[in-house]
Amino acid sequence: MEFELVIIGGGPAGLMAALTAAEKGVKTAIVEESFALGGQLRQQAQVLENLPKEFGKQSGIALAKFFSNKVSSIGVTALLGHTMIGTYRNGTIGVSNGKDTFPIYAKKILVTTGAAEQAALFPGWTLPGVMTIGAAQILLNRERVLPGKEAVVLGCNSISYDIAKQLRACGVNVQGIIEKKSIDEIDKELIEKFESENIEVFFHSNIEKAAGKQHVEKVWIDNDVLKKEREIDLVCISNGLYPVTEPLELLDCEFTYIENLGGRIPKYGSSFTTSNSSVYVAGNAAGITCIEGILVTASIAVTGILEDLAILNNIEAKKQKEILWTELLKAETGRYSKVHDARISLVNDFLPKEI
Amino acid sequence: MYINDHPLLESEFLEEITFFYEGKQLIAKSGQTVAAALMGNGIKVFGVSRKLQQPRGVFCANGRCCSCFVTIDGLDHTLSCMTRIEEGMQVFFNGGDPVVGRGGSGI
Repeated sequence: MEFELVIIGGGPAGLMAALTAAEKGVKTAIVEESFALGGQLRQQAQVLENLPKEFGKQSGIALAKFFSNKVSSIGVTALLGHTMIGTYRNGTIGVSNGKDTFPIYAKKILVTTGAAEQAALFPGWTLPGVMTIGAAQILLNRERVLPGKEAVVLGCNSISYDIAKQLRACGVNVQGIIEKKSIDEIDKELIEKFESENIEVFFHSNIEKAAGKQHVEKVWIDNDVLKKEREIDLVCISNGLYPVTEPLELLDCEFTYIENLGGRIPKYGSSFTTSNSSVYVAGNAAGITCIEGILVTASIAVTGILEDLAILNNIEAKKQKEILWTELLKAETGRYSKVHDARISLVNDFLPKEI
Repeated sequence: MYINDHPLLESEFLEEITFFYEGKQLIAKSGQTVAAALMGNGIKVFGVSRKLQQPRGVFCANGRCCSCFVTIDGLDHTLSCMTRIEEGMQVFFNGGDPVVGRGGSGI
């Protein structure tokens, strides 16, 4: 198989890039590990408020549907159930569907593998019934199965707010949110949101342990003052995200560690090119950001790719990228300003290899 | 437990299909993952850990943590969260390490 652009990961960033590239006539393929396109949008029932203008306001589920319909109608090859598992010596990538492994040649590779959820460790964290908050949301909204009936959530953040509300709407009793930080360290607006939903937040608290014979039945909430024992059958861990970068490692990209971007990430320049000049990165794989950030970074990367493929001339590409970087700044202002600052210093430090 | 009338989402007609868990016939909805089909039938413990034989089930539901391994149609250590349920599928508890072939094929 041969393509001009191969995109690793069919979530929002990969789909955004695929659409733009295919519209410009680039022969594009998406390699997607799962059996459907859309990535983590597929279970996001919450309305995404700050999408780029052309998308308006819609739920993640609706956006995933929009993207996957559009991508298949525009002639992008979607290799569902396929994983990139390595590279050949000539730079061709190796892709497997579990039965067959085959090479794909690509002029340009864009890695949009997104993010994974951080676990949180306490005695009993491996018991069935203890799961990431994302897993609970997948079961609830994508699979339409109740993950439990009595729940506590570890981590007070906007993700746990959205999902705790959704769990409750489906009949799960959310007994409370457990948060390590003290009340003054948490965004006031977020606390008010939890209050208005009557969801109790235990600040300066932690899960001391979880226990149960075969699956989780009890947690002990520890907050210096009181030790509360709770009978539950679901513990959701909402402890943040980290970038998924394995394909970039296979592609020999140079890495660095930047706390504010979510940890170990590839070095990249202002077009999201990595140290391997045919490899680009975008979305959460290039640093944990908001949905707008995910989409805009994908647009910047694809502009760079179009420029490299001589589909856009330098002047057009430069103009386009300037507009998009302004959009990215806007998207990452406020809650994500540290992310943006870290991104800017990463880009400024980037020195492309001599060819 | 299945959510039949989801309060936040449009209702969706999903065909019922049958599969087998430990030889027992169960009902799933088409399009679901094996992990969800088991959870929907009240099964939370899918297997045990390798070393200490502790119970394991769904943790990340995204194909990364490997906590939800089951045996599907004879294939050990299959990720139940990344495999779609199919009519007549034979699913078994993950009771330990897979049987590794020592035959002449070199595998």
